[in-house]
Amino acid sequence: MRWRIGRLIDARRYSIVVVLVFAVLASGAAVPDFLTRENVTNVITQSTALGILAIGQTFVILSGRIDLTVGQLLGLIVVLTCDVAAGRSDWFVAALLIAFGVGAGAGTVTGLLNNWLRIHPLILTFGLLSVLQGIIFLYTDRSVGQAPAQFVWLANGKLGGIPVAALALLLTTAVAHFVLTRTVIGRHVYAVGGNEENARRGGISADSVKLFAFMTSGLSAGLAAVFVAGRLGTGFPLAGNGYELDAIVAVVLGGTSLAGGTGSVIGTVAAALLLGIVSNALNLLQISAFVQIVIKGLIVIGAIVINQPSEEWR
Amino acid sequence: MIGNALRISRLAIVAAVDRFAIWIVLLALLALATTLSDAFLRPAYLGNVVRQLAPVGTAAVGATFVMILGGIDLSVGAVISLAVVICAVQMDGQIANIPWALCVTLLTGAGIGLVNGLLAAFSRASPFILTLGTSLAVYGLTQIYSGGTARGIVAPQFREFFNYRIGGVMPVLGLMFLIMGVIAVLMLRLTRLGRSMYLIGSNPRAARISGLPIRAVTLVGYVLSGVLAALGGIALLARSGVSSTFAGRGLEFDVLAAIVLGGTTFEGGTGGVGGTIAGMLVLFVAFNMVNMAGLNYNSQLLIKGVIIIVSSAGYAYLKRRG
Repeated sequence: MRWRIGRLIDARRYSIVVVLVFAVLASGAAVPDFLTRENVTNVITQSTALGILAIGQTFVILSGRIDLTVGQLLGLIVVLTCDVAAGRSDWFVAALLIAFGVGAGAGTVTGLLNNWLRIHPLILTFGLLSVLQGIIFLYTDRSVGQAPAQFVWLANGKLGGIPVAALALLLTTAVAHFVLTRTVIGRHVYAVGGNEENARRGGISADSVKLFAFMTSGLSAGLAAVFVAGRLGTGFPLAGNGYELDAIVAVVLGGTSLAGGTGSVIGTVAAALLLGIVSNALNLLQISAFVQIVIKGLIVIGAIVINQPSEEWR
Repeated sequence: MIGNALRISRLAIVAAVDRFAIWIVLLALLALATTLSDAFLRPAYLGNVVRQLAPVGTAAVGATFVMILGGIDLSVGAVISLAVVICAVQMDGQIANIPWALCVTLLTGAGIGLVNGLLAAFSRASPFILTLGTSLAVYGLTQIYSGGTARGIVAPQFREFFNYRIGGVMPVLGLMFLIMGVIAVLMLRLTRLGRSMYLIGSNPRAARISGLPIRAVTLVGYVLSGVLAALGGIALLARSGVSSTFAGRGLEFDVLAAIVLGGTTFEGGTGGVGGTIAGMLVLFVAFNMVNMAGLNYNSQLLIKGVIIIVSSAGYAYLKRRG
């Protein structure tokens, strides 16, 4: 009996993976040219940045918070790294350090403010989103600099026939999944998101855990920015617009509860890939971008209504 | 006895501080503003403030109902955008088309609110994601309807009417916003519907047991939010006179910031429209004060974020101390 219930819960948690497999098969059957090597590579490289960003967001949402800053943070890092590197490949390491440093630094600031000010994370991170947007535009209002060649290789290159971006996404997913399920801090993220009061009584420092989650989210924005910069090739100030909502959608579609405490990064990445596949298939079918937005909205609504009938979030 | 009385009076003070904190902040801010410039007390300035606030403010009044119910409506920005385009296209520059255009726009808002309400009332899924989904769909519909470009022409009389200043001071647009606010306050305070909204938000289980029509009230809340967002779109069109497919983009979070600042919480069951309007005024006056320094748009974005964070933090601090 126990075994069966365990199985059921697992099936529910990873139902998005099943949907993903169906989507791949259906698209392969219905859309010509979908299952070509070139197109599959395309889908994965296009979904990598969102996938990585959504992994970081998963940490924050699991801990019971939400982070709207990541889109503009990603945009800021794209602009900074491209401007500093200015296309020089010997500046690759410096650019990488900037990406991770600014990402983790901004995440730390968000986390500390969240702990100190005690205002709702939606309001706090919306305010910070506006601040970051202001900083980007004060820095530049047009595309600046050029991504170092290594960024371009990471985003578009191949290693033994496999896209580097796919490997990076796989590696990030594996590391994040390991941290969440096999380390103390990871278990604490679930505990704090599930019931903060109980976690605190159990001796967990809820503030440190939430700080860790926001830092991870900032760091993931830094890593995702590397791939966005590599694809764009230049520091475009609007590069991150809207990414934060896409990331939240991927997290929730992937089965993570907005109330915190339940979910997984595997579901998140599957959902990010699903969104990429749907958009790619609609593109191949030559459906207009406008109609695609409507379809995306309907998918979000439909998936939530079917997949999460008993969630309450306030 | 005495201890009890003291405790009760202390509770009363706490409740009062809780309730009026945002108004205290607003008065302090206005006092500070008048020391910087006497322009802040001129009737023309105040008339201008309500004119500027009318579009987002009207939408915020509607979204407050949903928040009191314990829900959230992230589609208001998208509804504002769609309303601007629909109203302008249907009007097509002709005065005779104005009533028709207004009706169609408001009905569209009601329709989107109805969809949100049905989803929220019957699915139990998170309204945050549900309304994020409808906001995407509505945004896409706006693009399809307009073909991606700013279409439609505003009749000159439409602008003239809404921007006419009664007594040289109060624009019709601002008056409409204030009247909407007063109606909403009265509805929440005095009617059965308003009281049920508070009860459902604060304790859904008790509301169900006492036989309140939870689903019907939820529907009404979301429909009102949709209609008032559409009205906000009409106000925006009247103020700017230009149709744009992005007019309302991102405004849902501005609305949310004002509502929460005004004392309505994400948990539902508390707060009200008066607080929301005060919250809007606080954000707006603070923003105006900083703007007098003559900053460019980019710095304004930065300042806007800081103001939202600082004022929310200050308000949260006041509430904890009280």
